[in-house]
Amino acid sequence: MIGGYMGKVLEVDLASNRVKKYALPDRMLELYVGNKGLGARLLYDLLPPSADPLTEKNVFIVTTAPLTGSGAPSSNRFNITTKSPLTGAIVNSNCGGDFGIHLKRAGYDALIITGKARRPVYLKVDGDDVSIEDAAELWGLDTQKTQEKLPAGTGKIVIGPAGENLVKFASVISEERVAARGGVGAVMGSKNLKAVIAGGDQKVRVAHEEKFKNTCKKWRELSRRHPATGEELPRYGTAAFVNKCNATYTLPTRNFRYGTFSEADAVSGETLAEKYLVKNIGCRGCPVACGRQVELNGKKIKGPEYETVGLLGPNIMNADLSAIIEFNYQADLLGLDTISLGNTLGFVMEAGEKGLLITDLAFGKTSGISRAIEDIAYRRGLGDDMAEGVRFLSKKYGGEEFAIHVKGLEIASYEPRGAVGQGLGYAIASRGGCHIAAGYPIYLEANGPITVDPHSTIGKPGLVILNQTTMEAVSSLGCCIFTVYMFLPRQLIEINARSRFVSKMIRSGFLYGGNLIGRALSLPAWTLPVPPPFFMLPQVKAHAHCTGRRFTLGRLMELGKRVVNMDRIFNLREGLTAADDTLPARLTEELQRSEEPNSRVPLAKMLPKYYQFRGWSSDGVPRSKTLKALSIEQEPSLPGAAADSSGAAIAGN
Amino acid sequence: MVEVKLYASLRAAAGEKRFLTEASSVKALLREAKERYGNEFAAKLKLATILVNGKNIAHLKWKNTRLQDGDVVSIFPPLAGG
Ligand code: SF4
Repeated sequence: MIGGYMGKVLEVDLASNRVKKYALPDRMLELYVGNKGLGARLLYDLLPPSADPLTEKNVFIVTTAPLTGSGAPSSNRFNITTKSPLTGAIVNSNCGGDFGIHLKRAGYDALIITGKARRPVYLKVDGDDVSIEDAAELWGLDTQKTQEKLPAGTGKIVIGPAGENLVKFASVISEERVAARGGVGAVMGSKNLKAVIAGGDQKVRVAHEEKFKNTCKKWRELSRRHPATGEELPRYGTAAFVNKCNATYTLPTRNFRYGTFSEADAVSGETLAEKYLVKNIGCRGCPVACGRQVELNGKKIKGPEYETVGLLGPNIMNADLSAIIEFNYQADLLGLDTISLGNTLGFVMEAGEKGLLITDLAFGKTSGISRAIEDIAYRRGLGDDMAEGVRFLSKKYGGEEFAIHVKGLEIASYEPRGAVGQGLGYAIASRGGCHIAAGYPIYLEANGPITVDPHSTIGKPGLVILNQTTMEAVSSLGCCIFTVYMFLPRQLIEINARSRFVSKMIRSGFLYGGNLIGRALSLPAWTLPVPPPFFMLPQVKAHAHCTGRRFTLGRLMELGKRVVNMDRIFNLREGLTAADDTLPARLTEELQRSEEPNSRVPLAKMLPKYYQFRGWSSDGVPRSKTLKALSIEQEPSLPGAAADSSGAAIAGN
Repeated sequence: MVEVKLYASLRAAAGEKRFLTEASSVKALLREAKERYGNEFAAKLKLATILVNGKNIAHLKWKNTRLQDGDVVSIFPPLAGG
């Protein structure tokens, strides 16, 4: 068996109470590795085309990667993949809770859930013993109480009332970490599945133990010595970006009308650290621990991340950090994605202001928000419509030009008119308005230490491709995407800050080389037969020692490209087209600032180049030679497809 | 007057959020800030990104960028998050 894998997946059909355990083909693991990549392939193979996401036909997939539970730093991630009820596209929601570690201890690399239980249940995976348990007592409980009631010492994924009530942006919670986006919680709810718990005593076997340990040790040191992951991120958390985005006009303010907020510092990571921080918390086994535990009214609770602060703060003109902490806590208990929530509130506030609907919610006013959050989770009054997300609201009440979503997924907390490559990334991202699936080019445009001209389109398609490809690959290896920050090593940051000439060279490399890089990435893996520099991408060496398989820069890039293309052909099969690769009119037509004539996203200028570099037709369809070069089969390749009703019966409700 | 805003660990090293200066260029401003806040601050400054009115000095005239009354200079260490 290849190192790092447990050798089998568990498939459970909630309708028939039958389970199947089988090994995935080696070739599939080699091509798609784990987490995001493997999830995309499995969903494509298992989901009946055009299935309604909130019916028993949808498939809910949890994947891990070889590094999950291996002891590698910042790599205990698991991934939830399903068809999103919010978008109708693929959604892959990555989470740092401990469920992935426990699923592997139970002996499985992935968990596939099909069908729908007749009444509320939870799934218990105790090594080889799998059972479907009654969840009548858990149904209706919030995510914290649900976790407390389930057996200690197991890994858990749970939903709150929002998931039960099929809120289209309901999240899934594991410990205090969240698989937030795209309504993965609603898919669990639609299956009457309140929770899954997993546990066992199996160990992850790595191929080259000594080398692996040494590599992880060096990786940890690198992470600690890096100024971003070693100092700023642990000290100020992800919300350290509030002030930086504010300074670069990329902080969404007043439903993305503006890119700066005069009171940004009051809700920043610095203020959070100064006034509320109790201690750092984080995902299991991560030396960075970028999460926050804060104290509010004598209670120690999880603090908000950057995205939450941005969208429940400046985006609704709220400068009260304690209110943001409370809303975040409430949303986690109810099981709601705070990115979609902040956008939905912002949209309703603007629509109310414009007389399109009647609401008490208003920009700059925190009263009524807590009630609105509850109304969304329980689908009461206007909350019932808000639970459907911004796209639905804009179609029902009007205001599509300021409905901030892509493909139905509300946009993350970066205003792309301050970084146009990020705008291209959002438009093209497979799951919709997601900063990560967008490739996060904003780091090289506005909020990172080395940035190219944020308003120029030159080089941006290539830059987006480079970033997206790298991030999809690293994510498929099981690593937190924050491990990619080491890609810009300390020395490079220092020399860039010191020398104008070097800085210009580096930036020109990104800017003018961007398209070149984009083209170079279309070369096959064998043209880059070397491993990437360890000090930039230590994940790759750790993965190679874990699996025992040689892994080069070429293969890393090929993996990233494969995942992007896999997502793409899934979305096309489900009926999405190039017309969905778009942005709200506010971002492409309205100037963000009258004094900056380039402060809108010239999407039409960048998109055709992006398609071309990806090896897609002008309609955004991957060419057959592109798919062939990436060994992507368009026919489902999994031996045991979901429709197959074989498998052992288990105890169930 | 030019307003200089400090962030994250640079703010902690300086012990204050902002200061006002009459420096006429970024270079003069940095010299003044180093003298004002000492070695720990100066060491962190080596990795810093400097923005004048929201624009990275890399896209202006680098450290020779002239400063005028009312300008806002923001100085950040390398951050991460998302
Ligand atoms: S860097 Fe933060 S989000 Fe990433 S694994 Fe560590 S604690 Fe989790």
